Amino acid sequence: MSITSFYFLCLFALALVLYYVIPKKAQWAFLLLLSLGYFMTSDTVVQSGGWYVVFYLLAAVAAVWGAAIYIDRTAEPKKKRGVLVCAVLFCLGLLCVLRFFKLPLLAPLGISFYTLTLLGYLFDVYYEIGKVQKNYFRLLLFGSYFPVMISGPILKYQEMENRLYAPHKLDYRQVTFGMQRMLWGFFKVLVISERAAVIANEIFDNYDSYAGLPIWVGAVAFTFQLYTNFSGCMDIVLGISQCFGIELPENFRAPFLSRSISEYWRRWHITLGTWLREYLFYPLLRTKFFMQLPKTLKPKLGKKRAKQATTFLAMFLLWFAIGYWHGGTWNFIIGSGLLHWFYIVSGELLEPFFAKWKRSWHISEENRLFVFFQRLRTFALVTLGLVFFRSPTVPDAVRMIGRGFSAANFRILWDGSLFSYGLDWIEFTILAVSLLLFGWVSVRQQKGWLREKLEKKPLVLRWAVLYALLFYVILLGQYGPEYSAAEFIYQNFRA
Amino acid sequence: MTIKQAAKAAVFLAGFLFLLVTVTYIVRTNGGVKDRFTGFYAEKKNTIDVILAGSSPVYPYYSAPKLYGEYGIAAYPLSTNNQRPKAIKYLFKEAQKTQDPSLFIVELRMFTMPDEEWEDTMAFTRGVTDNLKYSVNRIRAINALVSDKGERYTYYFDIFKYHSNWKTMVMPSQLACWNYEKPHPLKGLEIKTGVGPAVQEDLSGVTGTKEPPEKQLEVLYDLLDWIRQSGKDALFIISPYAMEEEARLQYNYLIGAIEEEGYPVLDFNAHIETIGLDFSTDFYDYGSHVNALGEGKCTAFLGEYLSQHYDLADRRGQEGYESWDGAWALYQTQQAEAEASCLADIENENWAPEVIED
Repeated sequence: MSITSFYFLCLFALALVLYYVIPKKAQWAFLLLLSLGYFMTSDTVVQSGGWYVVFYLLAAVAAVWGAAIYIDRTAEPKKKRGVLVCAVLFCLGLLCVLRFFKLPLLAPLGISFYTLTLLGYLFDVYYEIGKVQKNYFRLLLFGSYFPVMISGPILKYQEMENRLYAPHKLDYRQVTFGMQRMLWGFFKVLVISERAAVIANEIFDNYDSYAGLPIWVGAVAFTFQLYTNFSGCMDIVLGISQCFGIELPENFRAPFLSRSISEYWRRWHITLGTWLREYLFYPLLRTKFFMQLPKTLKPKLGKKRAKQATTFLAMFLLWFAIGYWHGGTWNFIIGSGLLHWFYIVSGELLEPFFAKWKRSWHISEENRLFVFFQRLRTFALVTLGLVFFRSPTVPDAVRMIGRGFSAANFRILWDGSLFSYGLDWIEFTILAVSLLLFGWVSVRQQKGWLREKLEKKPLVLRWAVLYALLFYVILLGQYGPEYSAAEFIYQNFRA
Repeated sequence: MTIKQAAKAAVFLAGFLFLLVTVTYIVRTNGGVKDRFTGFYAEKKNTIDVILAGSSPVYPYYSAPKLYGEYGIAAYPLSTNNQRPKAIKYLFKEAQKTQDPSLFIVELRMFTMPDEEWEDTMAFTRGVTDNLKYSVNRIRAINALVSDKGERYTYYFDIFKYHSNWKTMVMPSQLACWNYEKPHPLKGLEIKTGVGPAVQEDLSGVTGTKEPPEKQLEVLYDLLDWIRQSGKDALFIISPYAMEEEARLQYNYLIGAIEEEGYPVLDFNAHIETIGLDFSTDFYDYGSHVNALGEGKCTAFLGEYLSQHYDLADRRGQEGYESWDGAWALYQTQQAEAEASCLADIENENWAPEVIED
């Protein structure tokens, strides 16, 4: 059952009513039942072959639950580490066997997300920065909380503990805000993403028929498609959870307003970045090998360069992991991993030259035109990476990029060709207008949520805006019997 | 949550539902069927005495303006393409919400065809369900007509289907449907031009019977039960067409079954000479459906039959029937043009293109 489906929304409404009617002490147990019910009836699970895949989830939670309790009770570091390694290998083993070794038919919903969520909890217990949860069912709720099973965000136990298990009173403001956020998510997914997908699919699936600017139109369309799809899904997920009174961590903060690739990764899929930094990158730097490496390299490179080279190597492994997490094939490893590593490393290495260049041209960091240039550059670099991400293979991506530089046909911008990539002029205009609206809201939201500003407006204006957005989505959204149900791209990659 | 907040939420939701229904009515696909149904809903309360149901052998066959103009009968066809017999009971129930008809007329052609053939084609079901106003009766009709429960929601909330018609919202004719009430200038009639000659095999010697599809018989008996309970009169008709022996046998069975239940069946095919129907000139699609020439003759025959067998009020000149006078005048003009067009086609042997039905 997709979270954009009619039945999901009906069940959500029903669950919401029940959630606030039942005794508050039982709310977390109700959420657990709801989560397991959702898990069992999700398309991924049904298509995976049946209800028994729930045992993968139960087993992973059991392993982490048992290991965490053992680690908490044991004083011997060796035993702690042994149990940690066993539990991690068990969970990652399940993940790899089910996801990466071409056994997709067995993969249950959200396995990558709940695996990382559970392992994060276990690491926190191991490093004694988090408390242990002794109740198996409570930990099961943390690992299976239904809104995040689609595409994250990846949760941190310390942040969620009080929110998940605490009693929640019906808060009108929170529920309406949650619903408004869901509506905004539907706008992004059904109105923008599904339309951008039409252009992206046309160009990427037939790139041999295009050269020059159309290739980049397709690439940009895919960037918008992916971003609005993923962030729209997050809006729906966070909105659902907010209705239940449970605040989830943000996964996006207008990433295309970033002035550099490093900043972009602090704004895009934030919880994955945080997880990998805290549980992979930093522990990696604390390993003997990486502690020793700067000393080994120091005689040849000097102290500063040796340290930098060590960091770059650890970053290489981090970005390889990010790319691998996204798909396990080279187009993902390059497109969302190593290419970004290359951008960041090049940026750092060339920073002195850039600084000198800026000084000589008297360019201020806060110059609006320069800021715009930096944001455009980030967008272009990310889009280039996403060509690999969307292409079936690396050679396809390379060929496509090559074709993108093989002609200078700017006339397509005004000769009507833009309307021949699957969207007629009306649909194209809707996409453009919707993107402008989305962009305007994104910029405005840097100064705080618009819904909080809207809340202060007169009732008539407030309702007019909400009705307008509701019917904008209802009428212009791409859904229903003529369309395949909107799916979330990240759900497909990393279910 | 305070009472004020709850009240605000309720008002917001009510406003949303009102707008949703209104927008849905507007964006439902425009065309002849929508016009016929919005036309029906626009009729003044308790002004229609005869309701006709059935598929395409109804709306181009029987002219409501002519029945009114020449016989004083106020009739309205609630017919749709390939109307599944299961829908008829719900259409009659729908009609009773605003009208108090004394006679229901049911065309039987679809009863000879297996229902399964038509359920797979969504359009034939939606022709009925998506042209009814929102109501409990509509929900019941959907439940009866759509066996795939997982798909029913797209029928309950047909905005799922029609939202992509948003571009038609700027059309005044669509906006006029905001409450699904827009007068039909010809009271549901579709005048057909074009000529497709046909030959009718002589089946008068075919007296045997063959049982129609079992499910359709169940529907028929259910309909008969409902009509009996409603206390209304009912007439079953078989509109004329170039029939094959297989169908003839099934109609013979249906006639026997219906008459056994105490209801009459008027088989136009048994009165071709009386009607004056000419298969070489009076059909537009080679024997399946009549054109304007055939419609004039069929309507006259039906009008005569109803006048002789039923005590229907003569509504001509009565208060509240002004729009019927207008429809009758318009019909005469359009019918004359259509008949002239047909006659010209016959003279020039300009036959209609063959239509291959699904």
